[in-house]
Amino acid sequence: MKKSPIRQTTLLAAVICLAAVLASCASTQPTCASPQTRNLDAAIQATQASLSGGCQAEFDRYYDDLLTIAEGDPKPENKRAFSEFLVWSTDEGLLSTRQAEDYYNRYFNVKFMSLKGDYNNCSHTCPNKQKVLFDMERELSEKERGLLNVSLDNEGYYRADRLYQEVELVLEATCTACAAAR
Amino acid sequence: MTSPALHVRVTTRRTVGYRKQLQLLFTTILIAGACIVTQTASANTPTIRLFPTTVVEDLRQTGNVARDMETGLQEVIGRLDQQQELYIESKCDGAENDAGCTRLARQIGATYLEMLTIMEERLPDMEHTVNNTRISLEKGLRNELGRKMTPWTLQETLIGTNSSATAAQAVPTLRGRSGMRLSERFKQYYQLVATSGAKGDQSLAVLASDIYLDMEETSVLIERTRQEIARATLMEQLNQSFGIITPEMIEVVGGVKSILFGDEGSQPLVAGPPPGSIEQAYRSPLEQ
Repeated sequence: MKKSPIRQTTLLAAVICLAAVLASCASTQPTCASPQTRNLDAAIQATQASLSGGCQAEFDRYYDDLLTIAEGDPKPENKRAFSEFLVWSTDEGLLSTRQAEDYYNRYFNVKFMSLKGDYNNCSHTCPNKQKVLFDMERELSEKERGLLNVSLDNEGYYRADRLYQEVELVLEATCTACAAAR
Repeated sequence: MTSPALHVRVTTRRTVGYRKQLQLLFTTILIAGACIVTQTASANTPTIRLFPTTVVEDLRQTGNVARDMETGLQEVIGRLDQQQELYIESKCDGAENDAGCTRLARQIGATYLEMLTIMEERLPDMEHTVNNTRISLEKGLRNELGRKMTPWTLQETLIGTNSSATAAQAVPTLRGRSGMRLSERFKQYYQLVATSGAKGDQSLAVLASDIYLDMEETSVLIERTRQEIARATLMEQLNQSFGIITPEMIEVVGGVKSILFGDEGSQPLVAGPPPGSIEQAYRSPLEQ
């Protein structure tokens, strides 16, 4: 029996439409929604699921969300939760070890990551002194969030604050001494 | 009974035995000593040399010079205060034509000159010791903190191995000591430096920086003071020569001043800090 050409065309069009619908379903972007819970552990789990589901480009936002959630329930144990989350991110290949260290230390360590550098102070730090101090000031506000608002580590934060002042003083003197030799 | 030859052989063997024991003992002592020295060295390294004995000595000397200057000036300033009091009590203000008041004014001027002379005499010594301290510290800071350290190692030095509350208490007082006697300030510096052996490198770096920056300012201040003394001395000498300056003379003196010291009005103004650049003390949002 011979099929009519109209029927054949309709069938073909239906197949194409179905294929198009299926194709569009396959390329749908993940929603990458922020965690809705206020519980840090649950939020970390939700974030891990999202990051594993293709939202790795949103890592910064997720980290910020987690910090905001942790600020709602500050306690010393939060440090560990963030550390474990960052170690997981490294294991999953979302972050390099250096990146993970940077994310952790900027918020939860007294030491300033802005002072990373392989060259001596006279040759490298002094010519960029203003920028270094500006970066440190910005990092101090991150430490305020991580140490003070998330982990309740007041002593750690005030030590960082004093360290900032000491670095400012010592750099001023050292750079004046370096400049005097020229 | 043993034969003499055997006795000698036994004695020699014993001597050799003692020698071996002694050698072993010395070797053990040497090894133990070396271990202790190595441990001590590794515990103390890296040590930054910011306060060689010359700096400590310079600080002590500067303190002494400052104290001598203060002692010398104390009597003159006391006398000056008394004379000024007498001048005010005698209602000499506005009575310059009165012979007694003129004499009193000249006496005040002479005492003022005496004060300037003492300062003039003492300041070069002061300048010399301050500069010596400044130069020694400058060299130390440049080499130890500037060239031998990266920003990260500097931070680690400042933070120390134990960043605890006890370390926080050992931190020396930072800048801003207005109102303190000069000799007292140097005495404090000397005491801080002299007892700094018990403190860590972190305190030393801050202390050296603090003293160095203060020496820089003091050095500039001494230079300016010396210039000012030269100017004031000449002015007072003119006053003493001519007595009380009449309005006609003021013009002449003004001319001399403008030739010798330049016009005060034409001095460039020093720019103030831009708005908002003044360091604010931290206030946490949690603070109530």
